Amino acid sequence: MAVAPMDTIAPVQQSPHGTATGSRRSKINAHLLRLPFYLLALTMIAPFYWLLITVFKPPRELARTPPSFVPESPTFANFYDPEWSPAAINPGHLQGIFQRYQVDLGFWRFMLNSIFITTAITVGSLLICSLAAYVIAKHDIKGRRTIFLLIIASMMVPWQTTLIPNYVIMRNLGWLDSYAAYIVPALAKAFVLFFLVQFLQSIPNELIQAARVDGAGEWRIWWRIVLPLLRPALAAMSIFIVLAEWNNFLWPLIIVQSDEMANIPVALARLNSYFGGPDHQGAIMAGGLLASVPTIVFFLIFQKYFTKGIALSGIKG
Amino acid sequence: MASPIPLRGRLRRYGTSYAMLLPFLALFAGFLLWPLANSLYLSFTKFDGVNPAVFNGVDNFVQLASDTRFRHALGNTALYVVGSVVLGTLLSLGLALAFNGSSWPHRIMRTLFFLPSVTSSIALMLMWKWVLYPSDVGLANTIVDWLGGQAVAWLATPGLTIPILVLMSVWGGMGYGMVLYVAGLGSIPEEYYEAAKIDGASAWRQFRHITLPLLRPVTTYVVVTGLIGAFQVFEAVYIVFSQGANTIGGVLDSGLMIVPYLYDQGFTHFRLGYASAIAWVLFLIIFVLSLVNLRVGRAMKEL
Repeated sequence: MAVAPMDTIAPVQQSPHGTATGSRRSKINAHLLRLPFYLLALTMIAPFYWLLITVFKPPRELARTPPSFVPESPTFANFYDPEWSPAAINPGHLQGIFQRYQVDLGFWRFMLNSIFITTAITVGSLLICSLAAYVIAKHDIKGRRTIFLLIIASMMVPWQTTLIPNYVIMRNLGWLDSYAAYIVPALAKAFVLFFLVQFLQSIPNELIQAARVDGAGEWRIWWRIVLPLLRPALAAMSIFIVLAEWNNFLWPLIIVQSDEMANIPVALARLNSYFGGPDHQGAIMAGGLLASVPTIVFFLIFQKYFTKGIALSGIKG
Repeated sequence: MASPIPLRGRLRRYGTSYAMLLPFLALFAGFLLWPLANSLYLSFTKFDGVNPAVFNGVDNFVQLASDTRFRHALGNTALYVVGSVVLGTLLSLGLALAFNGSSWPHRIMRTLFFLPSVTSSIALMLMWKWVLYPSDVGLANTIVDWLGGQAVAWLATPGLTIPILVLMSVWGGMGYGMVLYVAGLGSIPEEYYEAAKIDGASAWRQFRHITLPLLRPVTTYVVVTGLIGAFQVFEAVYIVFSQGANTIGGVLDSGLMIVPYLYDQGFTHFRLGYASAIAWVLFLIIFVLSLVNLRVGRAMKEL
């Protein structure tokens, strides 16, 4: 039975005329079937293209109908408008995105806030979660099953449920409008711990036992053996954390009061609620573009890890 | 259960372990467990954030049941969730089937569809607001103009709010689902298809009897995480549809949903007790969905 199909496959696959034309036809068919998706791809590009050209249009061009699809007089004024002055209102000139905020460093301030917060949360949560994951996966302590179960169960809680008490806690601690309010509550991430525990369970205990026999302490084992072993898992998780924290909006919206402490999403949302006219859209889109560049570049560099990380989380989860 | 190791030995042996667990557990308890219990308590109180919370039993929940705005928000959310999840899942699967190869055209298409997933979500919302600008300077109305139509007040027409929100969600999310499906397709052994071809199965039958059943765990994941995410929508409503600083939910509340309403009650009207009750309704909905997810997941494994 195992050999028999061999004779039957060969003639079927090598039928003299049909296959060549058939495969060409099926190739054309396959492309025809994809046609709706190519059209869909156009709708993916169009809004991005619209954003991109808006950024380089001068105010006068932005308010014109019908709009232009290639900027006729490209300009960087939406980022920095050299002819704008705060004293005189000069029509046709608006503040660029870097001139719009009354804080030191202007728009850079929000970029730096976002970079600092995202980095701190990513590094901090990976360290804290990997420590806990190491104990839960590799230490035989009392209560670890209960603890793990509790952490898994907590993944079912939408974080918005804890929004109001956490806001009250921040206020009572006097942390509103501080980096601490951004960072500290975001460090213990149940899904990161869960993912790292799963990953560690697939790593043989012998590696860790060998280090113990050699007299290495637990902290040293975590730092020198567990963390390097976890590298692929940490890479996948850092991508999720970076994206989520860079785009975090609702929590910052309620804890941030001063302009100085806003992250990029909050700064852009405030800009959006102050200015509505079409001639302001250039600067708003310039802000949106600057907000997106870091994560898009990050993605293009680490593309492989991105898709692998998503695939891992989806198939395992 | 008496442990064979004396207390001091146990402390020495397990002390480090607990010390390593401590940072996580302390933060986990302080900013998740305690607030969760606290929000349950607050949902049974009248609390304005300034004066002490006053216990008032199930009043908040009774009030919620007859709150027309809340019912409206629930109805909107249901429409939005169903629309975005059904459309999003179908398109994710379609895209994955169309572009799951390793050739460069396929890779470029995949990157293109994935792009919104890595773009700042606020930037995307501001971009949509500009595309849907009410006068002819907006992209959408320019296209309507080409087709010979009248400019549409996209964001001020109540009947268009949910369709637009669904569209933005599907547009932004299908690339992510596609990546999951591509991974799922990659894990199906090629031999199954070869065997089916030998048996003379048509492409449709192969899809129906091999691809779809083997993709079921991925589909479950895509659908359930999609549902959970859709129930928590906030930015799209807040950025694209809020008019002015104090109204949320778009024209006639046509885009009002659970989380925007929670924000509105909690942080615009400072009814923190009432908002906590809304938060618990959200929790219960998502809890049930997660249980369904677990159930389905376990059932799949036993199959």
